[in-house]
Amino acid sequence: MYDLAVIGAGPAGMAAALAAADAGLNVVVVDEQIRAGGQIFRQPPIEFPDAALKPTAGYGWAIELLERFENHEDIEHLTSTTAYGVLRDRDTDEISLKLAVSGPTVSGVISARRLLIATGAYDLPVTFPGWTLPGVMTAGAVQSLLKSQHVLAGEDLVLAGSHPLLVVVADQLVAKGARVSELAFARGIPGPRELVAARRAIPGHTDLLAESALAVARLVSRGVKVSTRTIVTGAFGDRAVESVELARVDRDWKVSNRRRRREASTLVLGYGFSPSTELARQADCRMVWSSPKGGWVVAHDERMESSAPGIFVAGEPTGVAGADQARAEGHLAGLSIARELSAPRTPSGATFAAADKGVSRAEQFSTVVQTMFEPKREALATLATPDTIICRCELVTRTSVDATLDDNPFVSTASAVKLQCRSGMGPCQGRYCEGTIGALVANARGTSLAEAGHFTAHLPVKPVPVEALTRLDQVDS
Amino acid sequence: MKSSFDVVIVGGGLLGCAVAWMLAREGADVLLVERDQVNQHASGQNAGSLHFQLEYRMIEKGIEAAKQAAEAMPLHLEAARLWAGLAEEVGEPLGVVQRGGLMLAENAAQASLLETKAEIERSWGLDVDVLDGNEVRTIAPYLSESVVAASYCPIEGKADTRTAGPTMARAAIRLGATVRTRTAVTDLRRNGSSWSVTLSDRNSGESPRAQTVTAESVILTAGVWTTELGNMLGGYLPTIPLALTMTVTAKTEKFIPHLVQHAGARLSLKQSLDGNVLIGGGWPARLVTHANGTPDFSVRPELLRASVAGNARAATAVVPRVGPLPALRTWVGTTTVTPDQLPLVGPVPGAPGAFVATGGSAFTLGPSFAQVLAELALGRKPGIDLTPYDPSRYERGVGVS
Amino acid sequence: MSPSRKLPTRRGKDLDITFDGRVVPCHEGDTVAAALLVAGIHEFGTTRDGDPRQPFCNMGTCFDCAVTIDGRPLIRACITPVRNGMDVTSTKGY
Repeated sequence: MYDLAVIGAGPAGMAAALAAADAGLNVVVVDEQIRAGGQIFRQPPIEFPDAALKPTAGYGWAIELLERFENHEDIEHLTSTTAYGVLRDRDTDEISLKLAVSGPTVSGVISARRLLIATGAYDLPVTFPGWTLPGVMTAGAVQSLLKSQHVLAGEDLVLAGSHPLLVVVADQLVAKGARVSELAFARGIPGPRELVAARRAIPGHTDLLAESALAVARLVSRGVKVSTRTIVTGAFGDRAVESVELARVDRDWKVSNRRRRREASTLVLGYGFSPSTELARQADCRMVWSSPKGGWVVAHDERMESSAPGIFVAGEPTGVAGADQARAEGHLAGLSIARELSAPRTPSGATFAAADKGVSRAEQFSTVVQTMFEPKREALATLATPDTIICRCELVTRTSVDATLDDNPFVSTASAVKLQCRSGMGPCQGRYCEGTIGALVANARGTSLAEAGHFTAHLPVKPVPVEALTRLDQVDS
Repeated sequence: MKSSFDVVIVGGGLLGCAVAWMLAREGADVLLVERDQVNQHASGQNAGSLHFQLEYRMIEKGIEAAKQAAEAMPLHLEAARLWAGLAEEVGEPLGVVQRGGLMLAENAAQASLLETKAEIERSWGLDVDVLDGNEVRTIAPYLSESVVAASYCPIEGKADTRTAGPTMARAAIRLGATVRTRTAVTDLRRNGSSWSVTLSDRNSGESPRAQTVTAESVILTAGVWTTELGNMLGGYLPTIPLALTMTVTAKTEKFIPHLVQHAGARLSLKQSLDGNVLIGGGWPARLVTHANGTPDFSVRPELLRASVAGNARAATAVVPRVGPLPALRTWVGTTTVTPDQLPLVGPVPGAPGAFVATGGSAFTLGPSFAQVLAELALGRKPGIDLTPYDPSRYERGVGVS
Repeated sequence: MSPSRKLPTRRGKDLDITFDGRVVPCHEGDTVAAALLVAGIHEFGTTRDGDPRQPFCNMGTCFDCAVTIDGRPLIRACITPVRNGMDVTSTKGY
């Protein structure tokens, strides 16, 4: 039995594991990736001689964090291992948390006194005609291929999005010799007034926004067309992307009829992030809707505990806020758990105060960025045309979803639509269609996105062989 | 919405929607109210089995219990008949496939049980044959060598649990029925010669709106909420909630055409029309309770490790090809069973004009339950003798173990 | 679509995997997805309608990179490191 099982080895998970382990708890960290770092610090494989992470400017602390994490004696890190659900034994008066896992070295359940869900986020899906074509990728995909595999995806790229990260990715790609023909930004580039306001909110903080402006200038000087108030409305090609369609939009991202096509072999999408909350939902943690924070996020108290007793949460699942806040929240969560379990070296009040301050400081910056770059979800949901595939896994088209809503006036939630037309029932478990389905329901029924609700998550939150399920009742793995 | 109907049906699962359609078809003015979404609860969460042989849970308690459970056979036979023609009658597919069901034996004791069971079933008119291991593997080559015998019933199969309820609801609406979701019943009382039904409508989003409607008849098709509604009406309708676990795999090549069950283990296995393999069979989950110990149906039941693992083991033991298939989802649906395992169907005791149906295999029996309820509400004599299922047997103390 | 290309940095030792019977040379440390992309493989699988799919998220959430590896279906190529002799086959949708 571990004191703490952490799911996710990104900045939040690593910071929590370190805080708990430094306090004397025994900690296991489960992560699907091959190495620690999460997505933002996705490292090259150890088999590559240049195996060290080279983090983006402003994240110098990542190297030390990774090093401490990877070398800590009291942290067991299970890589390439999927944590696929939370179960509870109630044989005694105490709840006994069991984490279902499946991986190369362990398959069954891990017992822990506390769990920390630090499962990060994934690129916000945007559904438009042709988005399933080979050659369409997320900004995260292109960046991780570049940083952790030293592979340039495609050669003739168009980048479309609204999140400052996209500019960073474009800059990195061009620096490595990629041909980026256009960077299409849905809103305007933040003007001086916005930047000043941002600076005020975050005195002394690294100014990612100013960095973005510099990056844009660099891109322009390298021949990249940078367009604003432009979003992608289609990707076309026989069996892969050959051209993309871009359209002018107004302030609300409503598409005008000023559309144009340009040739491209790779279309990169960067409209923001969705928190990965499937494990939290499966564990019956209460969820809250907040559009600026990424949609459905996990509710928690000031100690980072969720509504489910014994289950804590940190990082993007509490609201998409970037690596600094993820680390701060993870650190606070680790300390909270150490105190709660009366760890051998329980952190002092001063340590807690500093941790709280760390979270507040990080929050000042992240809330500014969140508000500035909040995606216009309802507008994005209108990009899907009748033939557009909404559910990539089950191949459910917009026509099918609209018919489901039209033919069944008594259906008024995303889950009911899912049950009726199968959208969300494939291997991705609804991650890539839930947002669109929710928006279509809200639009059809005249309700809010919050009322349309989210999909329920079930064990296994990622597919595992039926055979793996037979290990769930073992005494302990 | 108007305030007077012929019939109010409480509960929008498959059963409620089917009754609504049957009554609307006869020209009745019907209101169907559902507290959540149509098909959200047990109707949409079960395995979709159309099984007519006696299940494991009926035979595991011995021959006498099996004989008692077999008294539901008339309802099963009528259901088989109705399922076969239902899609054509409503004009939309229901995913009904009746290519036969197998109940497996992996040892001699179980094989002997199959013979005894088959005798009981045949005495009620069910067509069932016991096959030896080789015969079974000829028609079902996907079964493992450990299967030594199986009973085969040609009319068994499956229906699409995901869409059957909504399909019936749409059919009812086409014939003039009114369907309201997010609408709960908060009061049910007799008002002279009619029923007064108070509704709480959550659709507006702010605070719920209350409305009272009147009806000549009230039909309870409310699954786990049956007992609570019975209390509202002043009728004793005992039900025991049973939370059951299901697992579904990713789609794969079609290789299981039958409904597969087991004589010595909890197991139901089938493959949907889309190719997903559905695994169930009665493995329990843990109901969440309120502080006072009563079940809380608003919170989903918790999975039991032993159930998920046991179900997976039972499935892979007899169909090894299922082992490597990716499992996509495990979920729980809560159904009702009655103290004596027989369904609860008929007039609510002490409540003239109120009728109820629930208990056990309510998906399989949905159409026959619905038919009986419609007949009762229309003042006709039901085509099936309802004595063994009479809800008043609990008040009279008859047949209660 | 033009194939992805490897940047000129040092990698792990040379090894081979096969994809639908075709030999794909790669390096220790490569993910299956990266190895296939660099080899110019545009279709990791097809849907039941015959439409091609390729990595979309590269982080294990979309399943569009899923392939069958050594007989096991639905393995995400983007988070699976190559092993010498690995037998990868494209996914045929159902």
